[in-house]
Amino acid sequence: MSGVAPGQLALRLALLALVVVFFQIGVVSEVPVFGVNAELCALLVAFAGLLCGSTVGAACGFAVGLFIDLALLQTLGLTSLIFTLIGYWCGRLRELRDPQAALTPLLVGVAASALALVGYSLMEFMLGVDAPVSFELLRVIVLGVVVNAIIALPVWALTRRVLEGALPEDPRRRRRRRAYTTGGLSPLSKA
Amino acid sequence: MYDKTVRRRRAVLALLVVLSLLLLTAYFGEGPSGRLHGVQRDFLTIVSPIQDGANKALKPVRDLFSWFGNTLHAKSQLGQALKQTEKLRRELVADQEEKRSYHELAALTHLDQLGVGDYRPVTATVIGKDPNVWYETVAINKGEAAGVRRNDAVINAEGLVGKVTQVASDGAVVELLTGSSMGVMARIGTGQATGLVRPKVGEPNDLLMQYLPSNAPANAGEYVVTSGTVAPGFPSLYPPGLIIGEVTSTNEESAYKSVNVHPIANLHDLDIVQVLTAGAGTAAANLAQVAASLPAGQSGSGGGEQLASAQVGG
Repeated sequence: MSGVAPGQLALRLALLALVVVFFQIGVVSEVPVFGVNAELCALLVAFAGLLCGSTVGAACGFAVGLFIDLALLQTLGLTSLIFTLIGYWCGRLRELRDPQAALTPLLVGVAASALALVGYSLMEFMLGVDAPVSFELLRVIVLGVVVNAIIALPVWALTRRVLEGALPEDPRRRRRRRAYTTGGLSPLSKA
Repeated sequence: MYDKTVRRRRAVLALLVVLSLLLLTAYFGEGPSGRLHGVQRDFLTIVSPIQDGANKALKPVRDLFSWFGNTLHAKSQLGQALKQTEKLRRELVADQEEKRSYHELAALTHLDQLGVGDYRPVTATVIGKDPNVWYETVAINKGEAAGVRRNDAVINAEGLVGKVTQVASDGAVVELLTGSSMGVMARIGTGQATGLVRPKVGEPNDLLMQYLPSNAPANAGEYVVTSGTVAPGFPSLYPPGLIIGEVTSTNEESAYKSVNVHPIANLHDLDIVQVLTAGAGTAAANLAQVAASLPAGQSGSGGGEQLASAQVGG
């Protein structure tokens, strides 16, 4: 970790999460696109994990999920469980692979959205929601993933911009960056 | 150091997952008045003013997004509405056409009950109309194959329309009452006096009934109907009692008088007609055969009724 105070990251993340959750509840949930609503919170949790690591991602996921469950009077613990797993998984992806491709946020967003939608449906079924698995459900899930894929890159850009100054520095990434710029060895060591 | 980080990471994950599952289990197991439900309600009480404020603050954004969504939705709805309107319009036109055809066919059935059925009526559709201002002929979609022959009488729901002048295999040409060679023996109302109805010279839409005895009653508004005979003992091509037109005025002449007749049938709006195809051996068929066998110049295209007019006139 770098010398950036962890409190600053937590503060920024909390503010961002608060704004995104209210925006999700107040605007996005009431504006259907292709008959479905975008899932900003799942994207936020996924990108928090991708930028900050698994621990922060899981904590962020739990907090955002709990907030949503409380604010929307949903089954407590349901969204927080799913978002915790999403945040953790995305954080581990960063820690293990550290993908640098430009389309990584898009793919991560798609995967996180699919995980959130499928996981939520599975949990609801397990909790006894009396609804058959239908083509309509599949359509909603697929369209939801498509809509989230469309907004994934802007949400990624916003999240990174807000958290930019407070992000933890990964030592491996620092080493790798140095290797890229110097060719792995300094001119002196070659000599 | 690495192990410590891994342990901490796993511990955090396990803690959060277990916490979520505990919340889930507890929440799911308790009733609506349970503690977690109460916490949720309290949280909502605290958050709802903020949520309300955020809701109001974000309303323009929501309206903007909604406007785009509604506009797109309205456009798709407009397309659907236009398609639906077009479909309904086509259905309406088809229904109106069906209704008109039904009324015409119903009236033709009524005519059948008057004795037209003896003349083997063949129902036909008008497929071509003479664009000429005099409007003398129409083409129909039934011909020899359906038993239609030259000089067969043609009627519609309103009354007499004309007669067949040319026949093809699957079509025929009908000369209308206003055709220059037409002549039909007729009488006025229930009177016994007969006269010959012919087109009025210079008036393409009117008829003239000639050779009526000067003492025959003829009042405006009375109906002119086919007499059914051309002379005593000689049946006409046309069954008796078919309405031809309505008397509009009377012209006094020396020995005979003539009356102006306006056709009842709307000859400009013919759609379905019936051809009275008299069967071989019937009086009507015999008469038609005689008329058709006359040398050119004697029968003309007027056929039997022209012969009748010569008889009456003489």
